[in-house]
Amino acid sequence: MNDLIKYKKKGMASKMRKDKKNTIVGIIITILILIFLVAVSNIKVDKISQIGNPFTKFVNNIQNGMVYLKNRVAGNDQFFINVDEMKQENENLKKENSQLEQSLRELEILKAENATLREYVNLTDKYTEYSTYPAYVIQTDISNYSKTIIINAGKKDGIDVNMTVISDKGLVGHVISVTDDTAKVQTIIDTSSTVTGTISTTRDSIVARGVIDSNKELKASFIPTEANILEGDMLETSGIGGIYPKGIHIGTIKKVVNTKNITNRYALIETAVDFGKLETVLVITN
Amino acid sequence: MSVSPKVPKLSKKKVSNLKKTISILGIIITFFILYFLQIDLFNWFNIAGIKPNLFIVLVLCLGLFIGRKYAAPIGFIIGIYLDVLAGSQIGISALMYAAIGFLGGYFDKNFSKDSKITILLMVAGSTLLYETVVYIYTIARNAIPLEFWGFIKIVLIETLFNVLLTIILYPLIRKTGYFFEETFKQKKFLTRYF
Repeated sequence: MNDLIKYKKKGMASKMRKDKKNTIVGIIITILILIFLVAVSNIKVDKISQIGNPFTKFVNNIQNGMVYLKNRVAGNDQFFINVDEMKQENENLKKENSQLEQSLRELEILKAENATLREYVNLTDKYTEYSTYPAYVIQTDISNYSKTIIINAGKKDGIDVNMTVISDKGLVGHVISVTDDTAKVQTIIDTSSTVTGTISTTRDSIVARGVIDSNKELKASFIPTEANILEGDMLETSGIGGIYPKGIHIGTIKKVVNTKNITNRYALIETAVDFGKLETVLVITN
Repeated sequence: MSVSPKVPKLSKKKVSNLKKTISILGIIITFFILYFLQIDLFNWFNIAGIKPNLFIVLVLCLGLFIGRKYAAPIGFIIGIYLDVLAGSQIGISALMYAAIGFLGGYFDKNFSKDSKITILLMVAGSTLLYETVVYIYTIARNAIPLEFWGFIKIVLIETLFNVLLTIILYPLIRKTGYFFEETFKQKKFLTRYF
């Protein structure tokens, strides 16, 4: 009898140990799945193509060999007669190519430098008519629906509700509430925010609002039927609506979707500001 | 410093009060940890740009372990605080967190907390409920056109994320949960299954 109880106890203990082990294994597997999901969903296409490189190399080399063999068998290998000569030529070309590449890289660096310098000059030029107050983005939204941000400038710095917030690239949004040291900004990509824009080429006005599942797109529906709207056109604020001053860059029209009924057509606008990487903003205080 | 030989014996009531204070402090600290996780970690550790909502899990578990009498008001306070800190509209999330706290208490009466699957289903259900109601309220209040597929995508990924995180945190939830239950509820003689 005692033995039986002992045996039973032992069995229970080992079962419990097994359960614990299973739990830990389950947790580890879940963590791995989670990391995998996050990594896969955030990966960029150009990175995938880099991973694909060795695979294509492998296939292409075999394919090269096959073609070579085929040519040999078919007897049309005239091409390979001056193979040594060609090898020499190839070497020379490679050398030249690397030299050219190097100079190209130097040019790229100069170009980038030029662009940033130009940006600095533009930034001060562009917004001289406004007096601005610089601030850092200290927090993004916790919910997935609304896209408000919090900046580290508040009432003490002269910030007030409905002031326009911009960055070096273009329009960010407007202030919806202030405390002494911080301000809450509703960005233009928030679904409950609308901005009236003017198309830079045709001067037609459209109303754009945020899209729920995108951080860099606006959707302009209810486009007037007589409005001319083209992909690639710039969009800037029109000054209608009272919040945003006129002439601030919003973004570029990325796509115009035409439907059967012309009143239903809509356009997607890519914002100039990258809201995923937004760090510093300027608040227009006058 | 010398240790006094006479250690005053704490009465049962005092011990329980002490435990309650520790628990409430624990809840507040947990809230702030979740808050900073939510705004910092999940800003880059996200699935296709979508963050989880761990406050739902917190409030639901409070409802499950300490009862709706405490969890609904705590949920309400958390919601109001979050709205003031970071939201763009005040009220709806407070109501919904209170409802989830209440729902947690209801679940506790009808289901067992000992099974992992039931807890995961509860988390999935409350996430779906919370996000759907908040979304409908938001589009109705601000006159936003409905974006059905965008919304479905967000809700499903968020629910999945919450469930995965709950699996990882389950042992912790269980341990602290039973500690809370002991402090806040009277002792029970019967354990329920299913």
